[in-house]
Amino acid sequence: MFPPFPRFAIATPAYGHPIALCCDARKNPVFARAGSPLPTDRAALLPADAPWVVVKFGGTSVSTRARWETIGRIARAHHDAGRRVLIVVSALSGITDQLKRIAESRGDLACCRAAQATIIARHHALHAELGLPRRNAIDGWLERLAQLLDDPRCAGGDLGWQAEVFALGELMSSTLGAGFLAGQGLPLHWLDAREHMRSAPLANQGAWARQLSATVPAAPDAGFAAALAARGESFITQGFIARNDAGETVLLGRGGSDTSAGCFGAMLRAECVEIWTDVPGMFSANPRIVPEARLLAQLDYEEAQEIATTGAKVLHPRALGPLRRAGVPLVIKDTNRPALAGTRIRAAASDAAPCVKAISARKGVTLVSMETVGMWQQVGFLADVFAEFKRHGLSVDLIGSAETNVTVSLDPSENLVTSDVLSALATDLAKICRVKVIAPCAAITLVGRGMRSLLHRLSGVLAEFGALDVHLISQSSNNLNLTFVVDEALVDDLIPRLHGLLIRADALRAEDGAVFGPSWLELAGEAPAPAAPTWWRRERDALLRIAAEGTPRFVYSIDAVRASARALRVAVATPSGEPLVDRWHYALKANPHPAILRALHEEGFAFECVSLAEVEAVRTTLPQLAPGRILFTPNFAPREEYAAALAAGVRVTLDALHPLQHWASLFDGHEIHLRVDLGVGRGHHDKVKTGGTGSKFGVALDQVDEFRALARAAGARITGLHAHLGSGILDASHWRSVYAQVASLAEGFNRIESIDIGGGLGVPSRPGEAPLDLAALAAGLAEVKQAYPRFALWMEPGRFLVAEAGVLLARVTQLKRKGSQLYVGVDAGMNSLLRPALYEAWHEIVNLSRLDEPVAAMVQVVGPICETGDVLGANRRLPACREGDVLLVAQAGAYGAVMGSRYNLREPAAEVVS
Amino acid sequence: MSPLTHPREARAFRFVRRDHADGVVSLVYAFDDGPELVERIVFPAASALVPARMRAFEAALDLLHLVAGVSYYKAAVPAQILVESTRLDAATAGFLDALYLHGLGEFAYHNRLDLRGRIRFPVAADAPGAPAPALGLAHRTLVPIGGGKDSLVSVEVLKRAGAAATATWVGHSPLIAACAERTRLPLLNIRRELSPLLFEYNKAGAYNGHIPVTAINSAILVVAALLHDHDAIAFSNERSASSATLEYEGQAVNHQWSKGWEFEQRFRERVHARVAADLAYYSLLRPLSELAVAERFARSDRYDDVFSSCNRNFRILGPRPADRWCGQCPKCHFVFLALAPFMPKPRLLGIFGRNLLDDAALAAAFDALMEYRDHKPFECVGEGIESRAAMAALVERAEWREDALVARFADEILPQLERSGLALATQLAPGGEHAIPAGLLAALDADR
Repeated sequence: MFPPFPRFAIATPAYGHPIALCCDARKNPVFARAGSPLPTDRAALLPADAPWVVVKFGGTSVSTRARWETIGRIARAHHDAGRRVLIVVSALSGITDQLKRIAESRGDLACCRAAQATIIARHHALHAELGLPRRNAIDGWLERLAQLLDDPRCAGGDLGWQAEVFALGELMSSTLGAGFLAGQGLPLHWLDAREHMRSAPLANQGAWARQLSATVPAAPDAGFAAALAARGESFITQGFIARNDAGETVLLGRGGSDTSAGCFGAMLRAECVEIWTDVPGMFSANPRIVPEARLLAQLDYEEAQEIATTGAKVLHPRALGPLRRAGVPLVIKDTNRPALAGTRIRAAASDAAPCVKAISARKGVTLVSMETVGMWQQVGFLADVFAEFKRHGLSVDLIGSAETNVTVSLDPSENLVTSDVLSALATDLAKICRVKVIAPCAAITLVGRGMRSLLHRLSGVLAEFGALDVHLISQSSNNLNLTFVVDEALVDDLIPRLHGLLIRADALRAEDGAVFGPSWLELAGEAPAPAAPTWWRRERDALLRIAAEGTPRFVYSIDAVRASARALRVAVATPSGEPLVDRWHYALKANPHPAILRALHEEGFAFECVSLAEVEAVRTTLPQLAPGRILFTPNFAPREEYAAALAAGVRVTLDALHPLQHWASLFDGHEIHLRVDLGVGRGHHDKVKTGGTGSKFGVALDQVDEFRALARAAGARITGLHAHLGSGILDASHWRSVYAQVASLAEGFNRIESIDIGGGLGVPSRPGEAPLDLAALAAGLAEVKQAYPRFALWMEPGRFLVAEAGVLLARVTQLKRKGSQLYVGVDAGMNSLLRPALYEAWHEIVNLSRLDEPVAAMVQVVGPICETGDVLGANRRLPACREGDVLLVAQAGAYGAVMGSRYNLREPAAEVVS
Repeated sequence: MSPLTHPREARAFRFVRRDHADGVVSLVYAFDDGPELVERIVFPAASALVPARMRAFEAALDLLHLVAGVSYYKAAVPAQILVESTRLDAATAGFLDALYLHGLGEFAYHNRLDLRGRIRFPVAADAPGAPAPALGLAHRTLVPIGGGKDSLVSVEVLKRAGAAATATWVGHSPLIAACAERTRLPLLNIRRELSPLLFEYNKAGAYNGHIPVTAINSAILVVAALLHDHDAIAFSNERSASSATLEYEGQAVNHQWSKGWEFEQRFRERVHARVAADLAYYSLLRPLSELAVAERFARSDRYDDVFSSCNRNFRILGPRPADRWCGQCPKCHFVFLALAPFMPKPRLLGIFGRNLLDDAALAAAFDALMEYRDHKPFECVGEGIESRAAMAALVERAEWREDALVARFADEILPQLERSGLALATQLAPGGEHAIPAGLLAALDADR
């Protein structure tokens, strides 16, 4: 699963954790001494050409004694491996924010004093925790802070004064660290970074940027490296700070410590720069939003730069430039898990295959769309437009252009939110074109080398954008990214789906161990436990006997149905075992087999029907069932069905105004439920989304008042609200959100008794897909239920209860080779199981006759129907199949037989209850 | 009337009794000889009342009992009102008649009821009794927080004036709690539990609809001021709250009557007459238009990520703007429009998470705010002229001009309007009656 890097050394456990270091230790003879006790003065022991390593630690990594011990271990392991070490540190976590309060106080002394007190307390506390003998060094810096507070420049917020204030954070943390590490027997020199980091103004840089977001043109400097080597072997210095030519303190801007590490790494032509953080490295997506995101083991500079620029926070993109030019690799490592290899960034391999490496999202993007009729062949229009952006100090990111329109994006900046710069820009632009500001947007970026040669793989991904308003598409000229700009509100839901689709499309080749490491879930120890053997593995012999009697066959395990029903009821409860769902319904469209209806009735389930025939099927199978336990939730059903259902005493849900407008008398004196469309759809495929204006289900929120008026006029009482937004949803937070929305809507009604949040509980199908977290689902429901105890909560799962309980058995008919493709034909096709063709659903397929034989080939499992789409499973790894073998298609208990047809006049598979 | 009979058939509404023990106030009502409807209001622990204030406290409880009865009275709107818990003087009865009539104006409109002449509180006391004395209450102000922009503007005004203030709110709302927390003032949260029987009546077909909740909260705060020793209650109702939403069969119907100047005056007069001569009750924003309040709110971004004026009651908070702003109710629409002229566009869009003025589907909703082709919505929104002025200001702004609803306004509505009244400055000028203490008036005006 996780490939070890070809080059790294493991330090001995003598220092605690085994530490995997990035650098090539083997070429250093001193590596053999790894772990030996450190002499107090090793200066003479390293050869003059001993390589440098730069290790950088962020705020949380320097805030406690335990973390400083870790820094000591890491530095020492490098030193033992024969390297000169330069440690670059940030300020203690939270300190830069306090310094910012002072820097931006504009003379508000009370605010300054409060921040100062916090700063003093934090540093004195860490000083004590580190057990340092003397406090004079740190108190010297705190005294400097006091002087700066009294400085007359404070009131005006002078930029040079601000830089001096901010610089104290790093100066203090490095001072504490130097004292501690020296006491730990690591001979260490404290270095004032400003003596060596010299900023240079850029042509178009404003005063603010020159002082607080300065640029250091770092390049390999053998003289500096030699001079430093002459002073010692290990150093600690500050990130974030430098000096300008006038000798004033300047800052390197946000992420400045990474930049410092990159600059020092380049200047020293280090063997490697290590950025030590609290995460295992860069991921294929933000793991907080996509827990299935994969660790990126290997990136080239340009890809890493794109990922860092387009959303990943773990590394500041400015760190990479100097390293790329100097050819110094960079590794991102996890302080908590030093044994993990992390993300290694180096020059691109010439033979790298095109592949999407990551999907990222930036929120808070503002688009400026400029339209002019005069643009066609107008010389200098773009120059005029961009001159305005420059004049207002706004940097443009994405650009899309047409004959009469150019649209650009502005990345989020504090400037845009706190000042009127956008208004001023728009006013000036309006003199030369029509300007429209579109916001808030989010830019979704796919990053990977060779994006243009991947387009054919992206059809499923692009389809996801189909229902959305895409404001801008940009394909970067360096062929490293493809960016879509959409409304910001959509992006949190979209990213996990797109990530899944990229893997499904093989555009993000997660199985390539050289590029992708473990997933965030696996690293967090939350990876799905290997599932217990399914019932069909246990009952293989019985299934083979059934298949011998004839194929194709659907086989259902009623025990499995009962087991999933019980598991659901147990899991969706409060911690003390109180049920959260007051009434469970089985959505019988998934599988109306009488044996299943009887079993679920015995398990305490009510029933949800979407046609009168389904209502009749329940009543025929369960004649004793109270009609009130049947919920009739049709969509565009004819009038007669409503009339019959009401007459039978069944609960009726309306999802349109039409019935109340035109058949009002039907509902007089009846209780009805209202299905609302909350405006957004969810689901594993476009065709199973049931919310949003693109879907035909539900009453739109802006028509709810009209629906109520019609119901009142008709003499009907609305006693339930229902929302069901889609199927196959594996995100447990979905139902909490639906429940909360419907409950807050229900508060405005008089007589709502129950809230039905539908079903749609997903069943994972692919290996590695995490199952729905029922505990998280329950916690979310409990939270809403506590806020709205008045309403009974109903749910109506379907597929979740029965999918696993059914399998489709089919017999191999013929084998065929065509080019490199190998086809295995079976006697069940899309007329028996439509889901793969209809939803691109993925069903596990095994050769039941040869269950334990090794995989022999990758094959396409196809049916006998005369349709190109009659593919039950593409690219499956199966043992060598022979005519007559029995293949088993798993998770066929839901939407299998019930969707069967006689297409081609082939009978669909018959059903058997095991 | 029992829960089983039809609620609308009750003949009389009875104010049965009210009690107080250990910070819990019980308000008891009934229809005819039906079961008692008991509302409980729970105040945080307070030190015991000094005997000198007991009379005032009893009067405050009476006032609360009488005002809060409107929630229950409206379930049946019976012909007779019986007050068994106290003896009303003519002035108090007159005040209650007005409160019930106007405060239920929108309710009556929606339920097609005519309440004129129906509401008659019985006068039992011949003379009004001696006026209430001053109690020597502490110089502190209760400032009710609603989670929206208005009360947060008041908080900042009070802070600027250096006044001691306590952020107060009634009920459980994570959103209000988050806003209150952000004020960094001392907090006072009062719990209110409606009688569960009322929900049963509603299910059984009782009349339901809008009630004058600000009147109820005002009466609750008078009790709180005595229990927690404050000498002022500063609400945050602005000028437009006094204007009618529509005329219906010759009667002005104002969605927010109890936020208006008439209520404020009459309630204050009752408090001074019956409870305490030195308990100030006023609205701090009374001379301001909604736009002027929005302009003041925009001066600080302190509450950007916690406040919401949305009408939907968000009991479950989430991190996204959509978890605080539904984007579909008139309040969302109006507040968006009112803030737009006064803050950078990206900041406003960041607050709402979307651009409501670039959504062509909302044309009718914004038309209603501007009183273009439609009456003003039954919501606490500004006057039509304020919405028109805000929209006209956006037409002049290049970053807004091309947004769907601004462009539509410029093309279709603006040409029909008299431009002279549309200047923002006109709308921002303070004016009209108010009862704000002089010291605070300076803080309200001495801005910028």
